[in-house]
Amino acid sequence: MREELSEDELLEKVTTSEYKYGFTTDIESDKIQKGLNEDTVRLISSKKNEPEWMLEYRLKAFDIWKEMDEPNWANINYPKPNYQDIIYYSAPKQKKKLNSLDDLDPELKKTFDKLGISLNEQKRLSGVAMDIVIDSVSVATSFKDKLAELGIIFCPISDAIKEHPELVKKYLGTVVPTRDNFFSALNSAVFSDGSFCYIPKGVKCPMELSTYFRINEAGTGQFERTLLIADEDSYVSYLEGCTAPQRDENQLHAAVVELVALDNAEIKYSTVQNWYPGDENGVGGVFNFVTKRGVCHKNSKISWTQVETGSAVTWKYPSCILKGDNSIGEFFSVAITNNLQQADTGTKMVHLGKNSKSTIIAKGICAGKSNGSYRGLVQIAKGAKNSRNFSQCDSLLMGDKCGSHTFPYIEVKNSSSQVEHEATTSKIGEDQIFYCNQRGIGTEEAIALIVNGYCKDVLNQLPMEFAVEAQKLLEISLEGSVG
Amino acid sequence: MGLIEAIKKYNLTNPISNVENSDAFTYFLNNGIPTNKNEEWKYTSLKQLVSNDFSVEAEGEEISQEELDKSTLKTENQIIFLNGEMVQKPEIDGVSITSYTDKNPSFEDAFTALNAAYAKNGYRIHVEKNVHLNDSIEVIFLSKNTTNNFIQYRNRIDLNENSSIKIIEHFKCLDKNLCFTNSLTNINLEKSSNIEFNKLQNHNDFQIVVDNTIINQDEKSYSTINTLLLGGKFTRNNLSFYQNGEYCESNMNGVVILNNNEFGDNHTYVDHKKANCESNELYKGIYLNKSKGVFNGKIMVRPDAQKINAFQANNNLLLSENSSINSKPQLEIYADDVKCSHGCTIGQLDDDALFYMRTRGINKDDAKTILTFAFASEAIEKLTIAELADITKKEMEKKLNLSLN
Repeated sequence: MREELSEDELLEKVTTSEYKYGFTTDIESDKIQKGLNEDTVRLISSKKNEPEWMLEYRLKAFDIWKEMDEPNWANINYPKPNYQDIIYYSAPKQKKKLNSLDDLDPELKKTFDKLGISLNEQKRLSGVAMDIVIDSVSVATSFKDKLAELGIIFCPISDAIKEHPELVKKYLGTVVPTRDNFFSALNSAVFSDGSFCYIPKGVKCPMELSTYFRINEAGTGQFERTLLIADEDSYVSYLEGCTAPQRDENQLHAAVVELVALDNAEIKYSTVQNWYPGDENGVGGVFNFVTKRGVCHKNSKISWTQVETGSAVTWKYPSCILKGDNSIGEFFSVAITNNLQQADTGTKMVHLGKNSKSTIIAKGICAGKSNGSYRGLVQIAKGAKNSRNFSQCDSLLMGDKCGSHTFPYIEVKNSSSQVEHEATTSKIGEDQIFYCNQRGIGTEEAIALIVNGYCKDVLNQLPMEFAVEAQKLLEISLEGSVG
Repeated sequence: MGLIEAIKKYNLTNPISNVENSDAFTYFLNNGIPTNKNEEWKYTSLKQLVSNDFSVEAEGEEISQEELDKSTLKTENQIIFLNGEMVQKPEIDGVSITSYTDKNPSFEDAFTALNAAYAKNGYRIHVEKNVHLNDSIEVIFLSKNTTNNFIQYRNRIDLNENSSIKIIEHFKCLDKNLCFTNSLTNINLEKSSNIEFNKLQNHNDFQIVVDNTIINQDEKSYSTINTLLLGGKFTRNNLSFYQNGEYCESNMNGVVILNNNEFGDNHTYVDHKKANCESNELYKGIYLNKSKGVFNGKIMVRPDAQKINAFQANNNLLLSENSSINSKPQLEIYADDVKCSHGCTIGQLDDDALFYMRTRGINKDDAKTILTFAFASEAIEKLTIAELADITKKEMEKKLNLSLN
């Protein structure tokens, strides 16, 4: 009985909900003028009280960005953003540095409650340490002290630049160089905050670390930078979530995430991306242009798991450079597009070390008039002897107006490696639905059931709290897409 | 004088008079030989090859009867081109065979444009309604030059309603000079017609081939293209199917075995424009020594082309440390009620299987040969002309023996 009730609840939610994070919060914020020039970069740097070397890094990036062209090879169409019409820095006004979360602006607290992240509750119950980034700056970090006992550094990157310059200097831009692409150069010039995390040698991080990103202010772009370093023999699981208010304009999100897994370390990075996708006519929504990459040293492992449900346009390829021998890279992805959403997402696995292994499982679900693409690269260098890759990318089409595409690139340069790639495209079979109907399961529920089963390989990789959220998100995203 | 300069010089002495051809030539000049920046040529570079000295459509050398006999497959129906001239064609009831000049040539990239501008040799086969040809027609293009030569052919095959035909096509160059062939074949299939087109590409180390084959299919037509890429300095095959009617079927089989510094690139494209069609694609590649392969298979399903079944498989064996393969199987799908899949594997012979054979007293090289044959047999078995299967097997054996010993 109980089972059924909860299922009814779920259905209720499915049928009534649209984008539930579409509210805005009235927090007084400190914004700078629209536009981008050298002074903007200097201003951001000075607002953050950054040391000289950081400013130089930014200015150099800005020079590089000026010479670059926006890429247009991806299978997406969107009006190119006017980079002079964006506010590059916006921060909720804070009177003083906070010592505890109780000092937080009550309006801000309300936002967290609406987002379903009650900081105190999280603290007590789930044991997830969280860093929250609104618009451009990190506003709250929980559990900092407890983590510090283990030597784990988990703080806004702006603090890390001041407090741990040696680490930031050593690793920033080593995985995603400024020159890497148009958006990484832009991010390097104007990034305002993000999370920094360092796990010292031999430490297994006892709790999930988490960052919650939210764009609040209108007309702003969000450019955050995440740097995560797992020192030798360490382990960390990291979660990232994002939402944005419902607006008619297209907001830009151009983040860079760099992961470094040193010898024998393991990083698990999970994302539930739920930026505002725009309405059913394609008005508004976030442009999500993200560069995520990790480098694996000897015997280390990086695992990316992502559930992509939001954004009007997604351009995102979490990648692994398998530099060390015996290193492992994994990519599990569910990308759902509905209405007029477009997603071009996938991964790159670059095998350089011997015996390196990678697994790619990408599941695409397209509904409405949306377009979803998987774009992946598996590259096996000459020296990467005995490497192994397995890729599987499946697409599920719901409706005859949507499109699903696969662009896998496979490059193998030695004879001891094995690469397998398979892809299928199909729709939910009428016989499958009929079977469910026969057993008293309504069509809508049947579809939810089948979609969940289809995504199971990926959802199973998510930490518990995220898996539940992701499952609900799946249903909400696909609401009304079946006629 | 590199290829581009040679072509420009050729243009001075052979000016183009009509508009269509000169448009095509302008397109070629503006775009030039494609480089790695062009997505379709990402892994395929002609840069070094075209910097060699070339003449364009140079006067050929005398070819003896003996040389000719050695080169053909000795089939009944032969169309023979010697140095670009059609010298022999069979007389068959219901089939008209003529030499061909395209009056209104179309083009879509640099090579097809160059072909549209200047190709003046080629054949046209027209099969009348309800004519079924049991024997295959062999087409051989033979040339012999004392300089590096660039030569172009433009062919056309039309099948009227409910007819069928089998064709074997091959290019041979006799002298030890580079021979660059740029060939284009348009195949038009009317309702319920059926073609089997075999490309025998057992080229030598001096042959550079860029081949474009474009198949337009009406409803219920059936096409099979077998590509046997068994050698050659450089080969690029562009194979495009356009399914313009319902209930069509397009099949592609490929066997690629390359050795030493040979390079082979197979690009295929299937455009499913109408509902209830099918396509099957199987390419098997074996790469020895320093050979390099490229595979690019694209399947497009247009909106409303429902109930499509499209299958694509590309399996590759890399048998040497220095061989390499770049594979890009693509799907672009805009209809929901379809079944499309692609699979791609790259690997080696199974160690366990090798060990099993050796425990039964089969030496290592033989075991390798047996397993490699088994790997390729799935594609070879689909050949309906026994002679072609034999040639493929012999060529494989020869190459494997060479590289294993």
